[in-house]
Amino acid sequence: MSCASTLLQVAVATPLVAALALAFSKWLPCGAKKAIAGVGFVVPALIAIALLCAFPCAEKISGYAFYSSCEMLGVPSLGIWLQFGLNGISLPLFLMAAVVGVAAGLRALSTKNVELRGLYYAVTLVMFGGVLGVFSAIDVFSFYIFHEFALIPTFVAILLWGGYGRKTTAITMAIYLTLGAMISLAGLFALYFAGAGAGEYGFSFLGIAQAVANGMVLNGDVSVIFALLLFGFGILVSLFPFHSWAPDTYAVAPTPISMLHAGVLKKFGLYGLIQLGALALPLGLADWQNWIIWLALGNIVLIGLITMTQKDLKQMVAYSSVMHMGPIFLGIAAFAISGGDVAGLGGAVVLMFAHGLSVALLFHLGQSVYDRTGTYDMTKMGGLTAKAPVLAAFFVAATMASIGLPGFANFWGELTIFTSLADIQPAWLLGAIVLSIVISAIYGLRAVAKIFYGKNTGVALSDEAFENVRDITVSERLPALILFAALVVVGFVPSLITKNIDATLKADFAPAAKVFCAENCGAEAADEDVIILDGPLPVLPAVPADNCESCGEGKELILAKNITVTVSGAVEEEGDFVLSAEDATLLKALELAKADSEATFAVVLRVTARIPVDLDELRNGDVEDVPLEDGDKISVE
Amino acid sequence: MDNETLLRVILLTPLVAAVVSAFFFRRSRVVAPAISVTAAGVILFASLALLLGLDPANPTASATLPGFALGGFTELETIGLSIDKNGAAMLFVVTFVAFWIHVFSVGYMDDDKARGRFFAGLSVFMFSILGIILANNLFMTFIFWELVGFSSYMLIAHYYDTDYAAMASKKAFIANRVGDLGFLVGIILCYKQYGTTNFAELGELIKSGEMTFTSIGLLLMCGFLGKSAQFPLHVWLTDAMAGPTPVSALIHAATMVAAGVFFMVRIFFLLTPEVLTTMLWLCAGMAALGGLCALGQTDIKKSLAYSTLSHLGFMGAAIGLGLPEIALLHMAMHAFFKATLFLCSGSVIHACHHEQDMTKMGGLLKKMPITAAAFVVAGLSICAFPWFAGWYSKDMILSGAYLAGNIPAFVALVIAAIGTTLYTGRMFAMVFLGNAHGHGAEHAKESSPWMTLPLVVLGVIFSLGAGWFLAGTQGLPWLDGKMNALFPASATGVFAHGYHDLHEKLASAGLVAPMFILGVVILVVGLGLAVVFYRTSTGEDKLREHSPVLYKALEYRYMDAFYGWYIEKVQQRVAMFVAMLDTALINMLAMRGVIGGVPAILGSVARRYIQNGNGGIPVFWIAFGALVIAAALVCGVL
Repeated sequence: MSCASTLLQVAVATPLVAALALAFSKWLPCGAKKAIAGVGFVVPALIAIALLCAFPCAEKISGYAFYSSCEMLGVPSLGIWLQFGLNGISLPLFLMAAVVGVAAGLRALSTKNVELRGLYYAVTLVMFGGVLGVFSAIDVFSFYIFHEFALIPTFVAILLWGGYGRKTTAITMAIYLTLGAMISLAGLFALYFAGAGAGEYGFSFLGIAQAVANGMVLNGDVSVIFALLLFGFGILVSLFPFHSWAPDTYAVAPTPISMLHAGVLKKFGLYGLIQLGALALPLGLADWQNWIIWLALGNIVLIGLITMTQKDLKQMVAYSSVMHMGPIFLGIAAFAISGGDVAGLGGAVVLMFAHGLSVALLFHLGQSVYDRTGTYDMTKMGGLTAKAPVLAAFFVAATMASIGLPGFANFWGELTIFTSLADIQPAWLLGAIVLSIVISAIYGLRAVAKIFYGKNTGVALSDEAFENVRDITVSERLPALILFAALVVVGFVPSLITKNIDATLKADFAPAAKVFCAENCGAEAADEDVIILDGPLPVLPAVPADNCESCGEGKELILAKNITVTVSGAVEEEGDFVLSAEDATLLKALELAKADSEATFAVVLRVTARIPVDLDELRNGDVEDVPLEDGDKISVE
Repeated sequence: MDNETLLRVILLTPLVAAVVSAFFFRRSRVVAPAISVTAAGVILFASLALLLGLDPANPTASATLPGFALGGFTELETIGLSIDKNGAAMLFVVTFVAFWIHVFSVGYMDDDKARGRFFAGLSVFMFSILGIILANNLFMTFIFWELVGFSSYMLIAHYYDTDYAAMASKKAFIANRVGDLGFLVGIILCYKQYGTTNFAELGELIKSGEMTFTSIGLLLMCGFLGKSAQFPLHVWLTDAMAGPTPVSALIHAATMVAAGVFFMVRIFFLLTPEVLTTMLWLCAGMAALGGLCALGQTDIKKSLAYSTLSHLGFMGAAIGLGLPEIALLHMAMHAFFKATLFLCSGSVIHACHHEQDMTKMGGLLKKMPITAAAFVVAGLSICAFPWFAGWYSKDMILSGAYLAGNIPAFVALVIAAIGTTLYTGRMFAMVFLGNAHGHGAEHAKESSPWMTLPLVVLGVIFSLGAGWFLAGTQGLPWLDGKMNALFPASATGVFAHGYHDLHEKLASAGLVAPMFILGVVILVVGLGLAVVFYRTSTGEDKLREHSPVLYKALEYRYMDAFYGWYIEKVQQRVAMFVAMLDTALINMLAMRGVIGGVPAILGSVARRYIQNGNGGIPVFWIAFGALVIAAALVCGVL
C-alpha cells in the first residue's frame, strides 16, 4: 500500500476520529473543541488537493489510483469487503466533498449560540466523514453504507438544531430517504446477484469496470435492475416527482448540514447511477431514457416555476438545487440518447462538482444574510449592498455560478450536457431543456435584486438597525472564498478536472458505448440480420459489432477470424468451442457441444443482447439461425 | 511581438486589469481608474500593432489558448483566437472607441464613490467584447456573449440603490438570456448538423455545397435579437440607460449592441433567404418605430436609446438586404457618432448636476461650446449630412433597399431617416438653444479636458472624417499604405469592397444623383422642422403641449405592457398554480397520504396487538415494507 493510499484512508478517517474525540470531550474548553473539529475539517481538504496533484502520475489499477483494501471489514469470499480508491470520476467529486466540507466546517465553527456545541461539531464531522467515504470507497456496499452513515447525522441535526417544523420535516425526510435507500439497496442486491461481483476485486466499481471491459454478461433482467437503481437513487437525488422532502429539509436543517447534504451527499445517487447504472446496465439506461428525459424535464420546468414563486431565500436555494438535478440526469440519459457519446456523462460529473460548490456557497451566504436581517423572507429586505458590499459581491458571484455564467465551473457542465443532447427526439425538447438557463436567471436575479438592490424596505430592519449592519466577517469570508475560488479556478481551467474525467470515461465506458453503437448502426440492417424472439428484455438488434463503422472498437473483431463461444446446460460437452467467424451460428455450436435432442430452449447471452431461442422451432426451420459473436455464452435447457 | 502574442495580450490584458482592481483596489479612487485606462490603452496599442502588421488585402491572424474536451465534445479542446477582415474592422472600432470612453469616464465618474467597481466592470466588459471579436467558433462566441451580458448587467446596476436600476439590470439580463436560449439551441443544432462550429470551416462547408437551414439561421438570429435589442426583445435597451452615461455610450450604443450585428455578418453564409427576409422586416420596422419613438421621450438618454434601436434596425435591415459589408460599415460609423452623442449627453448631464430631462435644459450652446460643437458634428453625421461619416453608410442602406426593389422596406427606412433628423434637431434645440429652464442648466459649465478631449477626438475628427477613406476609389493611403485615412488599412478592406460594389450598381442604375437629392431633402426638411418647432423652448415638450395624444402614442411602451401582463397574469399565475399542485398532489396526497397513510393504517392495526403507541412506527413499517418489496423484486429478477 503506497503512501498516497494511506493518505486517502486518513482523509476519510480524520473527521470520524475527530468526531469520536469530541464525543468524549465534555470537559474540554470550547477552544479545544474547536481546534479538534478544525483539524477534522481541514486535513481531508489538504489531502484531497494533494491527491488531485498526485493523481496523473499515480499507479493505477484499471483507472483507480490510491487503491487499498481492508479485507478484515467484509467477507472476501462473497466479494464484499472494504476497498478504497479514486478514479477520474470520483476524484473531482471527492475533492468537491472535501472543499464543501471545509467550508461547512468553518461555517459550523463560526456559528454562535449553539446548544451542545461539541455534539454539533461531532455530528457535522460524522457527516463529513460519511460523504468522503461515499466517493472514495469503491466497493459497492461500503459506498452504500457510507451514505447511510452520512444520512443519520442529518436526521439528528435536524431534530436537535433544526428550524421551524423540524419534527415533521425529519419524519418526512426519513420516510422518503429510507424508501429511496431501500429501493436502491434492492437494486444493488439485484446487481450483485446478477453476477456483477465475481471478479478479483469483488462487488466493487473497480471489479465491475473490469468485468464490463471483459464482456460481462449479467444474469438478470437489466431493465428491472436499472429501474430499481434509477428510482431508488432518484428519490435520494430528488428526481421529480420524488422531490418533496428536499426543499423542506434544506430549509429546516442547520446551514452546515444543508451545505453538505445538498452539495455533496445528494450526489451519491447520481454518482451511483453513472458508475453502476450507465456502466454496467447500458441497456437498462436505453430502456429508461425517455422516463429520465420527462422526469428531468419536470425538475427543470415545473420545479423551476415553483422556485420562481418562493419568497423565502433558503427555500428558493433549496428548490433551485432540486431544479439543477434535472440537467445532471439528462447528462446521464444523454449517454444513451447520443448513442454512446460519453460527453453527457462527463458534463454530468462536472456539473455535480460545480453544483455542489455553488449551492453550498448560496446556503452559506444565505445564512450570512439571515444573520444580518433576522429573516429569510426576501420581500422584507432590500439595499443590503450599501452596508455589505463584499457580501453582495459574493452573493452575485454565487448566483451567477448557479445560473451557469461562463467563468464558473457550472457553465462547462451545462454546456456539455446541452450539447450532448443534440440528438434528442422530438427536437423541441432541446429547447425546453435549455429553457433552464432562462428560468434560473429569473429567480436568481430576482433574489439578488430583492435582497441587495433598491433601498431598505424597513420591514425586517428598521433604518437604525440597517445603519448598524456590518459587512461579512473574516470567518464568514473564508469559507465563501474557498468555495468561490474552487468554482472560478475550474471555471477558467476546466481541464484540471475534465482531463481525468475524460480519460476514465473513455476507458471504462467504451464497452457500454459499443452497445449503443451497435444499436444505432444496426438500425437499417436490423430486419434481415436479427432474430427477435419473445423475451422479457430489450430486444436489441444483434448486429455484429464490426458492421459499425463509427466506433473503432468494432474493427478488432474483424481481425478475429475465429470466435470462441461457451456452451453450458443440457449438452454432453460443456465448455468453450472455437468456430470460424463466417459460419458461427447457434445450430453449429449446439452440434459441436452435442446438445441434448430433447432440449427445448436456449439463451444466447452477450454484452449487447440476450437472445432467447425456442429450439424446436429452430430445428424445424421456423425461425432463422442465430449468428454468434466472440464471447457469447449459450445456455441450453 | 508576433501576432499570436498580440492576440493573447489583447484578450487577457483587460481580464488581468479587472481582477487586479476588483480584488486589490476596490476602494481606491485613483489606482483602479488608472489601471483600467492603462489597460484600455495597452489594448488599443496592441490592436494597432496587430492591424498595422497584417496584410491589408487579406488580414488574418490566429492563436490558441488551452481549453477542455469531454467525450465527443471536442469543439473547445483549444480555445482558438482568430481575426479576419470583419474582425479586423470591429477590433479597431471597439478598441479605439473604448479607449476614449475610458478616458471620458475618468472625468465623468470623478464624484462617484464606487469608481473601483465601475472601472473593474468596464475591464470585464472589454474582456468579453474582445472575446466575441476574436472567437473563432460559435461556442466561444456564446461564452463571451454571456459574459458581455453579465458585464452589462453589472454596469447597469451601478446605481444599485435605485429601484429603477435594479429592475433595469434584471430586465436586460433576462431579455438577453431569452435570446441566448434560441442562440444556444441554434449552436447545438449547427454543431450536430455540420460537425463543427468553426467559422472558417463552416464557410468552407457551405461553399462546397452543404445545405443551409432556415431553422438554424432563425435560432442563431435569436441571439442577435437579444443582444442588438431588436423586436420583440428590444424592451431592455431603453431601461438600460439607468447605468452611468459612459456605460450607455460604450456598451449600449457603440459596441455590445453592435456585436449582434457583427455576429450576423460573421455567419452571413449560414443564413437562408427566409431568415434574411424575417430579419429585414423585423429590423426595418424597428428602425422606423425607434426613429419615431425617440420623439416621445424627454429624457435625453432614453431618446438616444431609441435612436440606437433605430440604427441597429438599419444595420439589421442591411444584412436582411444582403449587404453585410454595408451593415458593418454602418456599425463602425454609428459607433463613432453615437458614442459622441452619448458622451455629449454625458457631458451635459454632468454639467447640469445629473439632470437628464431635456425640458429642464436649454441655452447650453454658449456655456458649453466644445460639447455643442461635438454634438453638432456628430448630429449632422447621424442625420447623414453629405460627406460626414453617417452619410456614407446610412444613405447606402436606403439606396440598397431601393435598388433591391423592396419598396415597403425602403419606405420604412425613409421614415426612420426622417425620424433621425427630427429627433436630432429636437435634441439640439431643446438642449443647446433657447433659455435655461432648470437650476442645473443655469449654472452649467464646460466639462473638464478628460471629457472634452474624447469628444473632440471621437466627435469632431472621427464623425466627420471616418468616411474619408471611402471618398476616392483608392482611399487615402499613407504610412506605406498601412493606414487608410484614419483607419489601419487592414480594417477598412471589408467596407471599401462593399461600398464601392454597391456604389457601382447605383451608378449603373443611374440612381446616384436621385438618392443624393433624396438624402438632402430628408435632411433639410427634418432638421429644419425640428429646429423651428422646438427652438423656442418653454420648459415643456412642444409636442406634448400641442398634441398630447400623439405624444402619448409615441411614449407608450406597448411591448413592455405586454410583457408586464404576461409575467404578472400568465407566468406568475402558472407558477403559483404549479406550486399549489406540487403541495397539494405530490406533497400532501401522494407523500403524506399514500406513503404515510398505508403504513399508518398498518401501524394502527399492529398497535392493537403490540399496544405501544410509538409514533416512530410508521418509519419502521415503511422500512419493513420497502424491504419486503425489494426482496420480492430481487427474487423476481433472479
